[in-house]
Amino acid sequence: MSRSHKKSEELPRVQRDENVLRTKIHELRHLRDKLRAEVKRRQARVKACSANVETNQTAEISEQQVLEKQKENVKAILQAYRFTGLSGKLTSRGVCVCISTAFEGNLLDSFFVDLVMEKPPWIHHHSIPVFIPLEKIAAAYLQSDLQRFLFSLCEYVNAYSGRKYQADRLQSDFEALLTVPLQRNSLCNLLSFTYKVDGRDQSFSFSARLLYEDLTATLPTDVTVTYQGMEASTHWEEHRASHEILFRTKPLHQVFASFSKEVEKLDLSLVS
Amino acid sequence: MDAEAREVRALEAEIAALQRRCQELPAPGEKPSGVRKSCQKLPQSDSEGWESSKDLRSHLGHLKSELSFLSTLTGFNIRNYSKKIEAVTNTEVTEEGTTKVLQRHRLSGNCNMVTFQLEFQVLEIQTKEKLSSAITDLNIIMEPTEYSELSEFACRAEERRDLLMFFQSLHFFVEWYEYRKHTFKHFKEKYPDTVHLPEGACSHCMEIHSTSRPGFELVVVWRIQINEEGKVSPKLDLLTKVPQRALVLDKNRVIETAPSSFQTLLGVLGIEAALDSLIKLLCVGNN
Repeated sequence: MSRSHKKSEELPRVQRDENVLRTKIHELRHLRDKLRAEVKRRQARVKACSANVETNQTAEISEQQVLEKQKENVKAILQAYRFTGLSGKLTSRGVCVCISTAFEGNLLDSFFVDLVMEKPPWIHHHSIPVFIPLEKIAAAYLQSDLQRFLFSLCEYVNAYSGRKYQADRLQSDFEALLTVPLQRNSLCNLLSFTYKVDGRDQSFSFSARLLYEDLTATLPTDVTVTYQGMEASTHWEEHRASHEILFRTKPLHQVFASFSKEVEKLDLSLVS
Repeated sequence: MDAEAREVRALEAEIAALQRRCQELPAPGEKPSGVRKSCQKLPQSDSEGWESSKDLRSHLGHLKSELSFLSTLTGFNIRNYSKKIEAVTNTEVTEEGTTKVLQRHRLSGNCNMVTFQLEFQVLEIQTKEKLSSAITDLNIIMEPTEYSELSEFACRAEERRDLLMFFQSLHFFVEWYEYRKHTFKHFKEKYPDTVHLPEGACSHCMEIHSTSRPGFELVVVWRIQINEEGKVSPKLDLLTKVPQRALVLDKNRVIETAPSSFQTLLGVLGIEAALDSLIKLLCVGNN
């Protein structure tokens, strides 16, 4: 009995230990599964929530992007208007118009006219030079046809800018050819200067007077070229006459550029 | 038994890890901390310069009305514009401190019935003394192409790279075009039997028929010229169509001198009144 009794006592203990372990494992597994499920649930919730926020954010961001792009596009087009000569910005009382000038592709100064758009419209302030007949143009068109007023003003201002540019280029690029410096008025529509041109055998000295009666034009209406030399040679008359035609048909600095070219041509002919 | 003991230890470890994980994640009822973080991000984006949609919309609306105003004011409707900038740095030793920037522009739109597409380049040169900009290349495509005066003028503008002259002259051309159309239409309505417009209101000539004397016709040709400097002006001429017999009978050479007389009439009365009196001349015959 002792041995078998012992055995029977041992067996239940081992079995009891095993049973305890097994139960423990069972419980642990159960707890573990519960926790796994809970973690999964919580993870899924976080994902769903952030995905929601993300979609809202993305939708909002893409709408913002679209609007932003449209805004930049319209801003760029507004800037591009300066190439037409007339651009502007709305103000609280009307519009501030910017007149951009150019001469043969060279972009020159801009001027502005600040308009109050009442009935009738009037000029608040402006940067138009005083010698441009602004009052005359405004009196003629401002009250009746704003577009016409602006384009007419554009003509005057642009032409002035172009004449000034030609005179400036003459002074800066062809100083060497001017024996008497260029004299001009502020409107740049009356110019006088004396220059020398080298001919085949001699150099000719001429003095020129250019009058631009049409203030909307960049070419003179009246050109007088007179010979300044003492020689009685007949060659100078040809040059004088051709110069008069040149000044009337080509921009001032381009006429002088052609003088230099002619000299080059003549030099070459001498060499050959 | 070892295997089971191992299993217990493994399970306990996994449970501990899962419990830690559970604590990191927000419990149901709590706001996920991740969301809170991203919510906080949005106000920060605003301060970084991004306007809210509402502000953007009102800003865009204001800009669009500015564009519409400018378009009506100038008569130019620019629909598309883009700009590309290339920096061309000058590495010549003689010109230190000089930078050159080349801009490529693309612009398209319309001025009344004329649509244009422009591509041009602007070269900006910045020296120590000044900044100068010049157009170095200009390409103009214009529709419609029937107006030969316009296509000649476009060629000249391209040669001179005179973009400004292109726009200014285009404006005046369109103005004259509209005036001619309006004038012809007016006379057609006033004298429907006498006046004929062979190409409709947009035609460049107006025929005046005498209904009482068929075969007698006056044709007023009205061209819109653009000169070398871009100045736009009207050029009207009178052509006469009379039967041979009438020419023979015309001792006073009235018909022969009609074209030059018309020019004088234009100078004295202006376009509308001159045309009106001309039509009335033939109308008298109609009654």
